[in-house]
Amino acid sequence: MKFKYKIPISTAIAIGVGFVVLLGYFWGTRTNGELNLLGQIRTSFVEIAVVLIGVALLIGIINLVSVHVIKIQKGENEYYSIVLIVSLALTLLVGVFDLLRTYLFGKTFLQGTLWIFNNIQLPIEMSLMAVMTISLTYALVRLFQRRVTILTGVFAGVIFLLLLGMIPFVVTKVGFLGDLRMWILGVLSVGGARGVLLGVALGTIATGLRVLIGSDRPYGGG
Amino acid sequence: MNMINLVGLLFTFIFLGLIVVFAIVVKTKFGLKIREIRAFKKIRESIDNSVESGSRLHLSIGRGGLMGVENGSALIGLTVLRKIAQLASECDNPPITTSGEATLTILSQDTLRETYREINIFDRFDPVANRLTGFTPFSFAVGVMPIIYDENVSANVLLGHFSSEVAFIIDTGMQNNCVTVAGTDDLTGQAVILATTEDPLIGEELYASGAYINAGSAHFASLFAQDLMRWLLVLGILGGVVLKIFGFDQIFINVLGGLP
Repeated sequence: MKFKYKIPISTAIAIGVGFVVLLGYFWGTRTNGELNLLGQIRTSFVEIAVVLIGVALLIGIINLVSVHVIKIQKGENEYYSIVLIVSLALTLLVGVFDLLRTYLFGKTFLQGTLWIFNNIQLPIEMSLMAVMTISLTYALVRLFQRRVTILTGVFAGVIFLLLLGMIPFVVTKVGFLGDLRMWILGVLSVGGARGVLLGVALGTIATGLRVLIGSDRPYGGG
Repeated sequence: MNMINLVGLLFTFIFLGLIVVFAIVVKTKFGLKIREIRAFKKIRESIDNSVESGSRLHLSIGRGGLMGVENGSALIGLTVLRKIAQLASECDNPPITTSGEATLTILSQDTLRETYREINIFDRFDPVANRLTGFTPFSFAVGVMPIIYDENVSANVLLGHFSSEVAFIIDTGMQNNCVTVAGTDDLTGQAVILATTEDPLIGEELYASGAYINAGSAHFASLFAQDLMRWLLVLGILGGVVLKIFGFDQIFINVLGGLP
């Protein structure tokens, strides 16, 4: 039988590091605010994790490129993939050129990268946001086609009231609408959001604790 | 250690203790039951359908980074991925995974690789079935859209950190007649999911996924521990309200403020 030596080692590392980081979070500082030994170890572990995430970013880009190279080879919607790879290469070139200039002249030169961000990425993302508002409006209409329950009625009713409460002309004529809107946003909405967030926070803690006791092992070996 | 840290540590260890205790209780099958959530039933049906029809199942684990608080939802997505990979092992087309975070792509690749190795179908492992589709919210969502259109996807399971951009993914699924089950830890994302899907996972339902797909006794145990801790919190909040009404809150603030 083949012994899976990787699983116990990676689990032991995860549990050990996890407990040090957790205890360092609670016990890592002295009363004067300085880090003690536990706090320093915790900080080192977190810094190592940040560096590893940076490396993971590079691996992610390689994954993205390899998927699209395979698509080009197979001839599956290859034009989109070609546009993606050419755009990526150009952005990378401009970024490297900016970095080189920064190191050579000792001054920050990010004009090329900023130009790409301001003139290509930002307008595209803004237009996508505009499309999304239409998509969400359409989704609300479809919600009534799909199911008409008390919940959907309340959902749409609240949206209607909130939108009405935003129109200055309506608010001046029907004064309580503005107050009602503020009450919904300040009391009902915040109370509901806190309730949902408490559930999410408890779920997140439970998930973290499962990883800490080695029951969940998302780092290989199940 | 100050008072807040002490309370935090105590809370964490009580939670941990409850998970361990409930794990023992669950193993003895002590009659603990969970209510039905339609979304999970739908996930099981979708897996069966994809096996029968030869179509693909798409699982997106969102774009929550491992260093942020949203990593919990991403880890849940990975647990579900593992189970889906096991159940869909007979499917002609193995499931496809997308994410908007590089670390999650690596972890999903690792999860699929190990699961396939365990059930002896490693030859079917395809590294490009785990894809990083974009780094920003919109580029991630737009990158997922062609996968749903082009890769014979019949069901979308979206479990992870998504915000309003999830509307694009769900909309594409609907246009492609896909079944969609979605859950997120983000409040805006939850509102969008509620409006756009038939069976949304709201609030902590996302974190119950492991228990509902039979991912192990620890998932059941943590679900019961979560419920108990929630009741403790509710009692604490109600107690605080009562103290405030009767004007005793200042005494507690003074006592807590006086501690180191």
